[in-house]
Amino acid sequence: MESGSGVIITVFSTASAVGKTFLATNLAAVLGSAGYRVCLMDLDLQFGDVCNYLAINPEKTLFEAQRDVANDAEGFDPLPYLVDYQCKDTSITVMAAPKLLEEAYNVDTDAVVEVTRKLAKEFDYIVVDMAPAFSELNLAILDITTIVTFVGIVDFIPTIKNMKSGWDTLKMIGYDGNRIRFVLNRGGSQTRIGLDEVEQILGSPFYHILPNDFHMAQQSIKEAGPLVLLHPDTELAEGIRELTAKYTNRDSLNNTQERESSGGWLSRLFE
Amino acid sequence: MQYRVLLIEGNRMMLERLTAVIRDTKDFELAGRYQKAGDALKQGGVFHPNLILLDAEVESNVALIPEFGKAFPSVPVLCMNTRWNAENASHLVQAGAQGYLLKPFTRIELKEAVDTFAKGNMGASSCLIAFFSPKGKSGKTTLIANLALSLAAKTGDSVGIIDADLQFSDMSVFFNLAPQSTIVEAVRDVHFLSPVTLKPYYMPVTDRVSVLCGTKKPEYAEMVETKKFADVLAMSRNLFRYLLVDLPPGFGPISIAAAESSDMTILTASLNGGFEMLQMKRALEIFHDWDDFDERVRAVFTRVSPCNEETRQQLEQIVGCRVAGIVPNEYKLVSEAADNGRMAHDISPDSPLMHSINTIADRIISSQKAV
Repeated sequence: MESGSGVIITVFSTASAVGKTFLATNLAAVLGSAGYRVCLMDLDLQFGDVCNYLAINPEKTLFEAQRDVANDAEGFDPLPYLVDYQCKDTSITVMAAPKLLEEAYNVDTDAVVEVTRKLAKEFDYIVVDMAPAFSELNLAILDITTIVTFVGIVDFIPTIKNMKSGWDTLKMIGYDGNRIRFVLNRGGSQTRIGLDEVEQILGSPFYHILPNDFHMAQQSIKEAGPLVLLHPDTELAEGIRELTAKYTNRDSLNNTQERESSGGWLSRLFE
Repeated sequence: MQYRVLLIEGNRMMLERLTAVIRDTKDFELAGRYQKAGDALKQGGVFHPNLILLDAEVESNVALIPEFGKAFPSVPVLCMNTRWNAENASHLVQAGAQGYLLKPFTRIELKEAVDTFAKGNMGASSCLIAFFSPKGKSGKTTLIANLALSLAAKTGDSVGIIDADLQFSDMSVFFNLAPQSTIVEAVRDVHFLSPVTLKPYYMPVTDRVSVLCGTKKPEYAEMVETKKFADVLAMSRNLFRYLLVDLPPGFGPISIAAAESSDMTILTASLNGGFEMLQMKRALEIFHDWDDFDERVRAVFTRVSPCNEETRQQLEQIVGCRVAGIVPNEYKLVSEAADNGRMAHDISPDSPLMHSINTIADRIISSQKAV
């Protein structure tokens, strides 16, 4: 990664309704509350929900940004295309998905990559909420992504099959296990399939498991704010903070060594 | 059944070749053969054929199809051509042909053609339904799989499913199939196929329901060209009375092509307490440009609670289009079925889930009767 560029965390999955937008908004909120400059980018271009989740109505979106960067890459400043979001003492900025479906359909991949690069120079963290597909745009953004948060839920076999094929595809494209962080959402929810079975199928343990609290997650969405800010005392909020800590503590060598020597599952991940 | 074939083929060499195939095929005998259709029309009756194979490359032969219908009532006419084309096939059907096969054909293809077409008119009134959803996990695949079984059981007609959710296709998992060929091969080969030779690309799941399975890996999705995909849809219409197409979430070239070819487009969304209604309305706006929007576009909602007529009517008012059905949340049944490669239609036919899906089937069948 070039110097001066922020960390790009992409939240990806092979299915909808696994909690990508929920996790992306909450990751961004935790990072924002820790004082980092954070931009949350909605790349679910056609049916993105970031603005719905946060009840914001931006004037400009990624559509205008990618159009204008294509005209003048050199002089392009991404900041006027962002919208601020504030909740309690935390503020983040949002690059919204295009408002109209026809705009979403006519977005240029190279221009979006350029916008993302420009954003990465302005912010410590870019959190990308991505549509569940291996599209040309998604692959281009995954290429410049620092950490891919691959979100899964365990509900029934077809979902697991798609997680597996998505996971295999990411590895085939050349992302090593270290760059892909496999996060299980709604862990502990009642399913017919055991987590160990899933880990066995995928050939990899979960990097992090978020507890199931569908009710509170929905409640925070209704209240138009991140759970970690509105209901910080919940287990789920704690789980999201822990995940974020794993991402931000990447320089904490001592901590990592300690974990590796314990011979736990984390050490297996980095074999 | 024993078939007595009246063969009409203008090209002498081809006539010999096809004659040999017919004579070699079990349950088939050559009743008579002609190079000129006019001669066959006047003389063929003395041989009492019960199947006519007509060279459709000769324009004047096609014009005689209605005459064959009069001279040989209740004897199916199968047209032969060297290449399949949707427009031509529909022209032949309108003229009164029962089916279509490519020449030269093999013994297997001949038998398959008769099995496929002699039982019913090819594609003259097929109903293609495209299933689209703004977002994934809408319950679309569960709906389609069970709806196919329900339509087949209620009508006795053949039903095809095309899994065009190219990157993350699920239909083969739902039906526990290990397909030899998928949509990728069908699309690749379509220009060399006819309905009869396309049929083996489908995997039968019952005697009336077959599935053209999706890609085996996400990266194969790129191999499916939109134009050829549309050709597979058109050709498949000749094989099934109902053709249900499972599409990827969001708008892309494949979903647009399928929606445009469809007689009915059903948008599905799962009500999870998020912004599904909002996104459904946005998706519906795209279809408002269709002149026949009211007749052609339907919504289906899944995970609906309470799942009753009142809710359905409310949803209809909110989204501004006809709601063909609402399906309750039956996670346990749906997951148990999918995990075991079985269908709710079979393991729990009296469940509220199947009751809702059967109602949707009834609505589709009655809309077809209206057509």
